[in-house]
Amino acid sequence: MSSGPSLIRSVKEIPPIDYYTSGHRTCAGCGAALIYRLVTKAAGPNTILIGPTGCMYVANAHQFLTSPYAVPWYHTQLGAGGAAGIGIAAALRALMVKGKRKPEDINIIVFGGDGGFADIGFSGLSMALTYDYPRLLYLLYDNESYANTGIQASSTTPWGATTTFTPSGKVKRIGNERYKKNMTLLAAAHPKIKYVATATIYPPLDLMNKVIKALNSGGPSFIHVLTPCPKGWFYTPHETYELARLAVETGMWILWEYSEGKFKLNYKPQPRKHVKEYLRRQGRFSHLTDEEIDMIDKMVEEEWKYWLESDKLGKIILPW
Amino acid sequence: MSAVRPVPPITIEKPIAKVWTGARAIAEAVKLADVDVISAYPIRPYTGIMNAIAAMIADGEFQAEIIIADSEHSQFEVVKHAAATGARVFVGSSGVGLMYAYEAMLVTGLGSVPVVGVVGTRALDDPGNFGMEWTDAFTTRYFGWLISWPRDVQEALDMVLVAYRVAEDHRVLQPHFVALDGAAITHVAMPVYPPTKKQVTEFLPPYRPPYRIDPIDGPVTKAQHIAPSLIGPEQRKRIDVAMLKAKEVIIEAWKDYARYVGREYPPFIETKWMDDAEIALLSMGAYMKDIELVASKLREKGLKIGTVRLRYLRPFPAEELVKVLSGVKAVGVIEFGFSFGSPYRTGPLYHEVATALYETDERPKLLDFLFLGGREPKPEHFIKAAEMVNDLAKGKTFEKKAYWLTLRGEDI
Repeated sequence: MSSGPSLIRSVKEIPPIDYYTSGHRTCAGCGAALIYRLVTKAAGPNTILIGPTGCMYVANAHQFLTSPYAVPWYHTQLGAGGAAGIGIAAALRALMVKGKRKPEDINIIVFGGDGGFADIGFSGLSMALTYDYPRLLYLLYDNESYANTGIQASSTTPWGATTTFTPSGKVKRIGNERYKKNMTLLAAAHPKIKYVATATIYPPLDLMNKVIKALNSGGPSFIHVLTPCPKGWFYTPHETYELARLAVETGMWILWEYSEGKFKLNYKPQPRKHVKEYLRRQGRFSHLTDEEIDMIDKMVEEEWKYWLESDKLGKIILPW
Repeated sequence: MSAVRPVPPITIEKPIAKVWTGARAIAEAVKLADVDVISAYPIRPYTGIMNAIAAMIADGEFQAEIIIADSEHSQFEVVKHAAATGARVFVGSSGVGLMYAYEAMLVTGLGSVPVVGVVGTRALDDPGNFGMEWTDAFTTRYFGWLISWPRDVQEALDMVLVAYRVAEDHRVLQPHFVALDGAAITHVAMPVYPPTKKQVTEFLPPYRPPYRIDPIDGPVTKAQHIAPSLIGPEQRKRIDVAMLKAKEVIIEAWKDYARYVGREYPPFIETKWMDDAEIALLSMGAYMKDIELVASKLREKGLKIGTVRLRYLRPFPAEELVKVLSGVKAVGVIEFGFSFGSPYRTGPLYHEVATALYETDERPKLLDFLFLGGREPKPEHFIKAAEMVNDLAKGKTFEKKAYWLTLRGEDI
């Protein structure tokens, strides 16, 4: 793979410069803020950031006229992330082709939440993934709820989680009864898509290298990043990284990538930890019985057969 | 009969008229303006414009990125972001499609991004209706977009070119759409004299926004979330002042357009027979032709009637309108928009006109004529309106302020 982009091989190689710096007021232990920092480090200075409405819009300024971004950043509406990236990519291509701007490689990264990409902006995201603009990355930071508005369920909220729209009550005890939408598989369903992957903040190099691969893939790309959220998941802020690790080690979050039509698992938990190690650390699942937690573990176990099979074949098989 | 004389060469050099529909003429304007990014989504009647543009790009007549969006919301967001990045853009929609884009239109206006587009006005659902109404365009009055309203295909082409000049002027930097009366302009062909490429290049400087969303301009942060106490009122005031300044920019632009292209228009209001008029019919757009025809016939019969055509809805030419209507006894507003439950059950253009006239001591009496649901008005309806306005001027009292002249059955 000598022709591929140069990846970061160790923590020591992570560029020291930050493009997401002070001036924001995210929660202590905010997973999305960590993602912003790692992703912008990986992308470098020639990058445009687009922020659809969500936590990473409202929490990244508001109280003072400050900006944490050391690269161009533009807010876009909650449902407009897909269109925003395409608009900028189209403008840059037109201006460069017509000689109105000097030709240059410029990264465009749209940081959408699960509301912004899996719900209201789903159609626009899908539209964007059918075009051929290079260096256009749609990054879904999935904290599994509308956290900024006070933890309301989205279509990526997992089964059994309590949110303010799906509270665990006396009659409806389970909380959220819908199953988490698999956005990465949906993104992979776009023919000729260059690069699709899942990630979380554990391991950080996996996330950063996937950003580098996505930006260099030659087309629009999508990375679905599981984002622990102390406010919405009800855990103490210092456990953010730990929860990302447990999500991966319990097999509840599968690290994979799909590049040029080839599927690959990036991590196989051996042995896989029981999901209770991940779920019992979070207040949003505290109402679930041991039997219900076991049921989730069985579902994960069942799914993993298909993920391993997909890995063996290098092709995607629907895991249900 | 005089003998046939040889044609002097100068005649041959005169501009040649092209017989174009509104759709084709607008597409030619987009090409002449060297637009960089276009975003399309189909809805009648504006779609023909995008069809024409797509055909030109496919044939290599001009170079631009054309994005087929998944919705009008995406469509307007695509061009907003492209314009913020430094590209000249074009967009458009009609009817409920436009309404689907409202959020995107709003942030384009409040974010001061000089997008230019067209609205092919159309009756709103439900029920679905291909007829013409104005409510789709009128409801965007609050969004910080400039809105102009041509009477025919020629003026539509000219207005699109002037819209780029005005919107991109640093005193304005606000989006601008040209409202085309659906079908009556979009689908009607007439002889059009397009300006030459050279004329347009002289008239319309390249688009240079002050700060682009592009690393070339450094780390610009745009539309950051704010606490209301920080710059809330000041940010809104910028747009208010931009609309104020737009009036001088519009006057300059049309003066320059006449200079470079050779076609003159009054910037804000076109009048006929208003010098000695006692009554007037006021409207906008394509039906002015019929209204003027009716007025000219009534003039022959001795009625002292004039006509007033607004060319801009935003910024609204209030002072100019007061001047034009000074001394007039009664005015009939001819309009195609609705605002159900509004004061005296009148329409939105009436509200604009009444607000403008309220500031004068001797304001004319007003009647509103609502042509809704897309049913086409005929000259007889405008004759009826003129007669009612004449009665109003002579002191007759009317029970209502708004009349639906094309309505079948009782106008309660």
